[in-house]
This record gives sequence, structure tokens and C-alpha cells, in this order.
Amino acid sequence: MTEEQKDNGLEDLFRSKLEENEMVAGSDLEGRVMRRLERREFFRFNISRFNFYYLTAAVTALTVAGVMIFSDPGDEKGPSATGVQQETVTGVTGEAVIAGEGEIAIDDSVQASVAPLTETAAATTSAGVSFDRQPDREPALTFGPPAAETVKVSTIASSGITAASPAALPEIESSVVSGCVPLHVSFACNAEEGHKILWNFGDGGTSSLRNPDYIYDIPGAYTVTLTVTDRKGLSSSAGIVIEVHGRPEAAFEVRKNDPWNEGDRVEFVNLSTEAVDYLWDFGDGIFSTLKDPSHRYADMGTYNVRLVAWSAEGCADSVTVSDLFTDRGMYIRFPNAFVPNEGGPTGGYYNTRTDEESSVFHPVAAGIEDYNLKIYSKAGMLVFESTETELGWDGYHKGDLCAPGVYVWKVRGTYRNGQKFIMAGDVTLLKY
Amino acid sequence: MMSEQHIIDGCIRHNRNAQQALWKQYSGYLLGVCMRYATDRPEAEDMLQEAFLKIYFNVSEYSGTGSFRGWLRKVTVNTAITYYHRNLRHKHQVDIDEYVSTETGTAGFEEDFYNAEDLCRVLAELSPGYRMVFNLYTIEGYKHHEIAEMLGIDVNTSKSQYSRARAILRKKLEDLARMKGKFS
Repeated sequence: MTEEQKDNGLEDLFRSKLEENEMVAGSDLEGRVMRRLERREFFRFNISRFNFYYLTAAVTALTVAGVMIFSDPGDEKGPSATGVQQETVTGVTGEAVIAGEGEIAIDDSVQASVAPLTETAAATTSAGVSFDRQPDREPALTFGPPAAETVKVSTIASSGITAASPAALPEIESSVVSGCVPLHVSFACNAEEGHKILWNFGDGGTSSLRNPDYIYDIPGAYTVTLTVTDRKGLSSSAGIVIEVHGRPEAAFEVRKNDPWNEGDRVEFVNLSTEAVDYLWDFGDGIFSTLKDPSHRYADMGTYNVRLVAWSAEGCADSVTVSDLFTDRGMYIRFPNAFVPNEGGPTGGYYNTRTDEESSVFHPVAAGIEDYNLKIYSKAGMLVFESTETELGWDGYHKGDLCAPGVYVWKVRGTYRNGQKFIMAGDVTLLKY
Repeated sequence: MMSEQHIIDGCIRHNRNAQQALWKQYSGYLLGVCMRYATDRPEAEDMLQEAFLKIYFNVSEYSGTGSFRGWLRKVTVNTAITYYHRNLRHKHQVDIDEYVSTETGTAGFEEDFYNAEDLCRVLAELSPGYRMVFNLYTIEGYKHHEIAEMLGIDVNTSKSQYSRARAILRKKLEDLARMKGKFS
């Protein structure tokens, strides 16, 4: 049996067994499909289902509307309630308000039989001016908002601010009143349930949440105003000032000898702006609070240096430079091409300043203790070896110029701090 | 029992009885189709639900040419492809050992030796990409370039996945045969 036939056998097997394979779909699955179908059909216009769905919707809507009309005491009381409102607005005295409130309390008694008792108690007490936050008043609030307002009026009168507004005088609480940018402030207010709240954060931002959170990301002084509008449309407002301080900007520069020798002092030049206090962490466990310190590291190595700068307002900024001295103190790098002098071997010693034509292949290195460089031709023959970084390859092997092309180098050695390195790469020998 | 034409007309009008009749008549067949494409039964049921919703809302697009059954199957297969694409990113990953090609045995396949359930199970063990290609090519009868277009893959990917799927299936069936031989 050949491969081809066998594979067809496999396909035939699957085709014959599975093409018309039927399985039993459970009735629960049918139920699920039908429910999903109903949900999707519900929102599609469908003439055959028009009566059922849309009639149901209409009946529901009418019922809801009816319930709303007949159950809302505050807005739908009609002339008497409006009259009270007028009275409250025009007559600012406590008596007028209390009188009006009494009327409303009677109206409310139609709706909730528990209300009148509480209301009366409230009215009596509120005559005595201070009745602001008594815990047992909470249930009364839900039944008779007018009573609560009356109490608030007396509060307003006593505190002597915007007495023209009968609505509750809002009080603002903020988590902080000043701080550093970006400043996160949590606001809270004492507005009652159902009252319309509008926060204006002073930088164009607004919110209608009761207890909003806000973040200022530009320094400045912002006047936050809170406007509370009660169910009758009367509003009152309060304000608070939030001060947002800018941050300093931490920055520094490092000045040191290159190459860097053991015992050298490193100068740190502070370039921070708008800062008055500083803390330096040199990364070796030593700290300084000077503006421009200098530091002598006991061990050569790499350090993370951190500078924290504080402004007069106490706002901080920090900058960390990681692995600060990695490259400066100890490093080794190789070029990837060079052009040997065709006039004859140069010996391989070079001067960094005069070797502008890169006629010698050599590393750029510092802080090297041990060093061994080997260069191989593509055939694997060793063409050059050196144990000092000052001696590079001039491109000659046994007096003859090597062929242009790619050569492979491998270097191994030790930095002066004892760290070992092994690197390998290739270099292209070029010819003009 | 409603006739096919009655069912179609009723479904176009969103008649509930016709919709239920459609389900009664074809859900078993289409679940069988979904099982071929799914990793497990719940996935197949998800696919089937989506396919039926598609069918219920688009039944008016059935042109009348070609069999209704074939049209239903095509919608279902397309649903499976959509399902595959949607889950491509987070669910479907190919086990590395599936890439290791398996050596083939020499035995042919006796048709009566395996039942549909066995075959569905070995199919479900395939990674979804392989399963798609194998199903579309072998059972649905699409060409590789059509499959490539449907799945958004290269033609050669389709071909190589197909041959790998075939090798894996062959191995699994042989294992199964050995198991069955041992226990029967």
C-alpha cells in the first residue's frame, strides 16, 4: 500500500464518519438559544411581534409615568407648595420659614403617616436656632426635605453668610489644601441626597459627584467652588482655595579625570533649578547635603548616584544616574575595520592621537590589568597575538601583509578591580 | 412536521414555531459540524448558538439555489472560522511537540474500526490551527488557496499545517488502534 493511498484512506475515514455525523443537542441548549434569540429580536423592529413587545413597553412606560406623577410629593404638590417657596425666598426671617415649613409638613402627612410627628418635632426645635447635625434627624430628612432646609436657614442666619439663599449652606472638606504637583485632592461635601451638586475646580474642571477626586497637574492657586441646588431650584455655594506648588528639577553633572585613577576626587556639579535643599547619595553608602559636593570613592567600580532636591515649599524631585562609572573607569572596545599601511610592517605600536588613518587594529581601553588578544584568519590560523593594549595588529603576519577580508579576534583579560572579561568579534582588513 | 419551505418562510417572518422547528430538525447535524471544529463540547455549543442566531437573523439571505442544509452548514463553518479568529490571540497556542513530525506506520485504516466519537476526539486533540485546516480541506473540501484566504494565512502554511495535521492524526489513530486492540 503506497503512502498516497494510505493518506486517502485517512481522509476517506474522516469524511465518511464525520461529514454527516449528527449529535444530540440538549434541550437546555435549545432554551439558551431561544432566550438569546428573544433578547436580540426584542430590539429589532419586527412586525409579527409588534403587538406583544411594544404593547408591553407602552404599558410599562405608562405605569412608570403614573407612579411618578402620583408619588412625588415635593414637585407635584401644586399651588400650596409653590406658595411656600415664594414665602421662603422673599421673607428671610426664621418665622416665615417655620410657618411655611409647617404647611408642608401637613401636606406630607398625606403621603407618610410617620412624617408629621417628626416634622413637628423638627419645627419646634428649629426655632431654637441650632439644630444642625443631630443624628436622629436622618429619617426625617427622607420624608420631609423642607424641614431640613428650615434648620439650615437658621444655621445660615447665625453664620451670617448669603442669608438670601434658603438652601443648605454647603461645607467643603478637602483631603489637603496645598501640596506638590501633581496634587491629588479628595473633596467631600455635606450636601443632602437628591440635591444637585456642581464642583468647579478652578482650572476648568467640573464634577457633579458628591465626593469627587481631582488631580491638579499645573502649579497655581485654584479656587474651588461648590454649588448645591436643592429640589426647589435654590442654590448656594461655598469656596475653598487649593494651592498647588511646583516641583524643583533635580539635575547634576559629574566632573572627573579621564582615565580615572584610584583616589581621584569626583566633582558633582549641581544643576537643579528652584531647589533649596539637597541630598546626595553617592551609591557607596556615603551621603551629603552640600549643593556641589565632591567625593572620593574608596573602591573603583560602578555606582548609582542619586540626588534629591527640595523646593522651599518642600516639594521634592530626584534624579538617579545608574552605573555611573561603568564606562569611564574600566572599559575595552574594538573597532570593526582597519586599513594597514601597505608600505611595510609598522610594528603595531600606535599613538591614539596620530593613528587617524587607523592603520593599526587596537582596542580603546582603560583600567585594564591583564590582556590577551588573539586574531585568527578565516581558515583558523593564528595571525597575531598581543598581551598589551598598547600593542595592536598592523595587518602583517611574518612580514607579509595579510589578505583583505574578515578576521576573527578574541580577547580575554582582567580589569583592575579583578573583574574578568572575555570578548570576541570580527574585524575587516581593508585595502585602499 | 413542517416542510423545509415552511420553516424557511416562517423563520423569515421570525415565527417562533418555525424557529423551533428549524432547531429540532438541524441542531443535531450542525452540532456535529461544530464538534469537528471545537476543542470540547462547551465550545461546540457556543459555536452552535452563534451559528443559529446568525441563521435566524439571516435566513432571508438564503437564495434558494443549492440545498438549505448546505447553506446551514456553510453558515456554521463560517461561524467556526470567526470563532477561531476571535480566540486566536489568547487561547490558541500550538504545543511545541506537535511540531515534531511523527513517523508513519504502515497500517491502513479500517473504516469500521473507528466510530465518529473516536474521530472527533482525536480531532479535538489537534491544535485549533491544524484542526481548521484539516477540516476545511478534508471534509468541507476547500482548496488550500481558499483556506489560506479564509484563515488569513499563507497558502504554504495551509499546506504544511495540513500535512502535519495528517501525520499527527495518523499517529493518534494508530495509538488508538493499539489501545483498542489491547482492551478488546
